[in-house]
Amino acid sequence: MPAAGRYPGGRPRCPSSRPMLRTVSLAALILTLAVGGGALSVYWALGAREGVGAVAIGPWVSFPDLGTPGADPYSKARIARQGLLSLGLAEGLTFAADRDSDGRALSRDCRYEIEGTFPPARFWTLYAADASHRMLPPQGLPRRPALNSLEALRRQDNSLSIAVARQATPGNWLAVPGNGPMVLVLTLYDTPSASSAGIADLALPAIREIGCDA
Amino acid sequence: MLRQVSYAVLVGLVGAGIVHIVILLRLPAFSERDAWSNLAARAPLYQVARISDRPGAPALLQSPDPFVDAVACRFDLTEGIAHLSGPGGVPFWSASVYDRNGQNIYSFTDRTATSGALDFVVATPVQMTEVRKALPQEFRASVFVEAPLEEGIVVIRSLVPDESYRPEVAAFLDGIACRSVLPEPAGLD
Repeated sequence: MPAAGRYPGGRPRCPSSRPMLRTVSLAALILTLAVGGGALSVYWALGAREGVGAVAIGPWVSFPDLGTPGADPYSKARIARQGLLSLGLAEGLTFAADRDSDGRALSRDCRYEIEGTFPPARFWTLYAADASHRMLPPQGLPRRPALNSLEALRRQDNSLSIAVARQATPGNWLAVPGNGPMVLVLTLYDTPSASSAGIADLALPAIREIGCDA
Repeated sequence: MLRQVSYAVLVGLVGAGIVHIVILLRLPAFSERDAWSNLAARAPLYQVARISDRPGAPALLQSPDPFVDAVACRFDLTEGIAHLSGPGGVPFWSASVYDRNGQNIYSFTDRTATSGALDFVVATPVQMTEVRKALPQEFRASVFVEAPLEEGIVVIRSLVPDESYRPEVAAFLDGIACRSVLPEPAGLD
C-alpha cells in the first residue's frame, strides 16, 4: 500500500472513513462559515449607526436618501426591517445630533447651548430623543423636551440661542429630563434646501457644552 | 490538511459574501415587520388610521415628531384609483406616497394644493391615461400622483404648533376620506 507510510501508528481500521469524515467536516465548515457569516454580517451591518449616504453638517447628521428608491441596499433593508416610514424630501429634512460641536457625546447631565441661525424653512422642530429618535418622556418636568420655530424667541439679527438643560432657563429652554445619553432631532419642514441647492452647503447652529452637573 | 482547511475557510468566506448579498437584497421582500404589516394590524384597506406615536406600540414613523400628528391609509390600485380628500384649513400639512415596501415614492405639501385643501389622486400610468381622456368633474381640482405600483400607503402629516391647535388638526385629520374610485367616462354635457 503506498499510503501505509503516512500512518506511523498502524493502518486505520477502515481506510475509507477518514477521507470521508474529512470531506464532511470541511463541507460543514464551509456551510457554517457561509450561512452563519453571511447572516451575522448582515445583522451587524444593519445595526451599525453610521450608514452609507449620511450628510454631516457639524454635529448634525442627515440621511436624505433614507426610505427612497434611490437609497443604498443597506438603507433599504434597514427601513424594511424596522418598518419605518420616512419623511419625504418635499416635506422636510431631518437631522440628528448625538454629539456636540466639539465631538463629545451628548449627555442629559450636561447643559448645552444651541446657537446660530437656522436655514430657511416653513418651520422647524427640535426635540430631545432616545437612540431610536423617540421623544424622551417629560419625567416630572413641567414641559416636554420639544421646541418649534413658532414658539422660539429670536434675536434682532434672526439668530437664536436655545438652552438645553434640566434647569429652567429664561429665553428658549429645551427641557431635558432624566439622565443618560440623548439625541437632538432637528426637522426642517418644507425647506428649499432639501431639493436643489445641496444639503451639504446648509449652515446649521452649533451645539456648545456649557457645563455638566455630575 | 492545513491547506485543505484554509481552502475551505476561503470558500466559506466567499460563500458568506454571497449569502450576505442575497439576504440583503431579499430582506425588503421578506420582511414581515414592515410598515404595511404594521398598518394592516391597525386598520383595513382604505381606512384612515391615526399613526401618531403611542408609547408601547411599535413605531411607524422615522423620527416621530412630537409636533406632528399623522394619519395613514393603505390603498390597492388594482381595485381602482385612490382618491384622498380633506378640508384643509390647518397651519401645515404634507403628504407622502409609499410603495408596498415602505419606500417614499412621492411627497408634496399643502403649497401644491389648490386653496390649501387636501384633494389628490394616486393612479398607475395606465389609469392616468384613462382618467385624462375624460376627466371626471370631481377631480377637476385634484393633484394627480402617478405611481407605478399596485399596493401602497399614503401618509398625511399635519403640524400642531401648540396644544390649542390640536382640536383643529384632529378635525382635519379625522375628516380625511380615503377611497377607491373606478374612473367612469364623463358625460357629454
